[in-house]
Amino acid sequence: MSASSRQRILDRIRAATPAAAPQLAEAYAALPREYVRLGAMSANACVERMIERLREYDAEVTRCMPDELEATIAARLKGSGRRVFVAPAGLPAEWQAEEFVWKVDKNLKSLPVSEIESAEGVVTAAFCGIADSGTIVLHHQAGEGRRILTLLPDWHLCVLRASQVVETLPEYFSRCPQPPALVTWISGPSATADIEMTRIKGVHGPRFLDVILVFDQGSQPTLN
Amino acid sequence: MSHAVGEHPVLDPAQAAPFPQAALPVLRNPQLRKNVAHAIDVIQDKRARLVAEKTDWQALRAAGAAIRDHVLGNLGAYLVQFEERCTAAGGQVHWAADADEARRIIGEILREEHASEVIKIKTMTSAEIQLNPFLEAAGVKVFETDLAEIILQLGEDEPSHIVVPALHVNRSQVREIFARRMGIEGLSDEPRELTAAARNYLRQKFLGVPTAIGGANFLIAETGAVAVVESEGNGRMCLTLPRTLITLAGIEKILPRFEDLEVMLQVLARSATGERMSPYTSLWTGVTPGDGPQRFHVVLLDNGRSSILGRHTEQQTLRCIRCAACMNACPVYRQTGGHAYGSVYPGPIGAILTPQLQQMRHAQSLPYASSLCAACYEVCPVKINIPEVLLELRSQVVEQERKQAGRFFDPIYMGLRVANVLFSRAWMFQAAQRVGRVGMRCFTRKDGWIHSLPGVGGKWTQTRDLRGMPPQTFREWCAARGNAQGKGVA
Repeated sequence: MSASSRQRILDRIRAATPAAAPQLAEAYAALPREYVRLGAMSANACVERMIERLREYDAEVTRCMPDELEATIAARLKGSGRRVFVAPAGLPAEWQAEEFVWKVDKNLKSLPVSEIESAEGVVTAAFCGIADSGTIVLHHQAGEGRRILTLLPDWHLCVLRASQVVETLPEYFSRCPQPPALVTWISGPSATADIEMTRIKGVHGPRFLDVILVFDQGSQPTLN
Repeated sequence: MSHAVGEHPVLDPAQAAPFPQAALPVLRNPQLRKNVAHAIDVIQDKRARLVAEKTDWQALRAAGAAIRDHVLGNLGAYLVQFEERCTAAGGQVHWAADADEARRIIGEILREEHASEVIKIKTMTSAEIQLNPFLEAAGVKVFETDLAEIILQLGEDEPSHIVVPALHVNRSQVREIFARRMGIEGLSDEPRELTAAARNYLRQKFLGVPTAIGGANFLIAETGAVAVVESEGNGRMCLTLPRTLITLAGIEKILPRFEDLEVMLQVLARSATGERMSPYTSLWTGVTPGDGPQRFHVVLLDNGRSSILGRHTEQQTLRCIRCAACMNACPVYRQTGGHAYGSVYPGPIGAILTPQLQQMRHAQSLPYASSLCAACYEVCPVKINIPEVLLELRSQVVEQERKQAGRFFDPIYMGLRVANVLFSRAWMFQAAQRVGRVGMRCFTRKDGWIHSLPGVGGKWTQTRDLRGMPPQTFREWCAARGNAQGKGVA
């Protein structure tokens, strides 16, 4: 039944597209792409734009130098008023301050959903930040966590390095050595505008997004 | 078949009333029109601001249109590639020639899963194939998880917009629906409180129901990946928590490569909701061990799409990425709302897509539901020339109609046939002018205007006056002038 439908659909499509390109890759390469690929901002301005966009999404942003990172994470955890956090597989041990309760997700022994659901927050690294739209990109590799880890807890603390921030979306794509299997692009906390176009933060995903920007490029963070 | 105010909107093109009739209930409902206009004003304003900041907007549109055209021209090869890569990554690909087959395939998967409940991500394609009533009849309880879809499901209403499906419902109506159906006492009409009610209502479902059904914004041929763009996180819940995920997608949703998202994601959210990016965009490839559903099905739906392919003007309809910018910009949609279109796809894109998906057998009034002002074309992120397609479809409607036996004595077609003969010879035309002048005299008032005509002409004079025939034609005037001055006229 299904096999014949497959054939029928493909036959109909092929009959309708007799001019289909024999060399698909060449036809694809010839497509016009006149849009902006590389941004024009300095690295510093780019990071500032990222911070500005994140703040427009009501995300908390804290700047720090690489040697201040552990202390900054601990301070943000404390400042959140929360105690129980999820740590994804591959999260640096130094990021997991001892005074808090850590539920560690391991590659071979992953946390059950109920454990993740009952945690108050999650700490992760990221793959990339896109300044133009204030987007944080997770490829769900080591330190970034399985997809569910950054979804159920109400508070997400994300550590982003200045060297990971690009200006435009096409720059992010050029940073991917090959297409990743899993991606989540996060542009601000979960939101809806379904009732009279009134924007409400926090429907099902985390209601609070907290970002630590690490100035690892030799640049000095401007004071908040 | 037309429905009165408060009656259930009909979104099956084969059953729905013609557009002018279906639009009447809304035109008579000031509350509904206010709700629609308010929502549209907000989105339009945000969209305009965010599009203006993109200096390369036109280049993005051109690239978007070119990528989509390239896909449509090579759809067979890309679909096969998608199937191969998705299968290699652990997904299972099904092909559905029509709505009935898609429903059967999904029903079969759910039976194998012993599923008595499913959670759903908003997908217009599932509304297109009327999936929910089918599942309910098969004994599967369906939980919509998008806030707007919950409002519609609990309120037993139908979507009126493809991005903001409940934009015709206001906060006090939502409050009433939630209080009644969720059994919450003392619920206020604050959007914040209403949203929280929906969150609580769904939380246990997300954690407990092992089967999810969703749609796709894009299918990536190169990798077999699927992308879903959303705001609330209900999509991410459905994509990660269940054991089994079923994705229903139109065959035209393909993009050649992962990088093509760099164009689509830049134009989609800006056009759809006036955001730079939607809060959450998810992409997954088949099955990932330890992360998300371990059984993954993709149902590729044709349902009339392949019949639109290969037609020079009409094919651009399939470029659509469902952003809804066209309906937000449309002066007709603004007045009538979405239900008048008698289809899950309203607005200008619906006016061209719906009749074509029905192979021009239903919804023939839709190509006329437009002033041809082209605002839809101007905002379309993939440059679909909707007015051009509307005109092409109108000519097809006329072609069909004039050949119908029942229309032989239709005054319009009779008139056109007579005109066809009269206009072919100069002497006949001149004779007709003389007869017309005498004939029209009895309808012309003293002020030189015709205020009302009988029969089919009355359709014109119902809404506007017509100038009476002048005492002379131009040729007569010219000839008389030549004689008076004693000169010949060429």
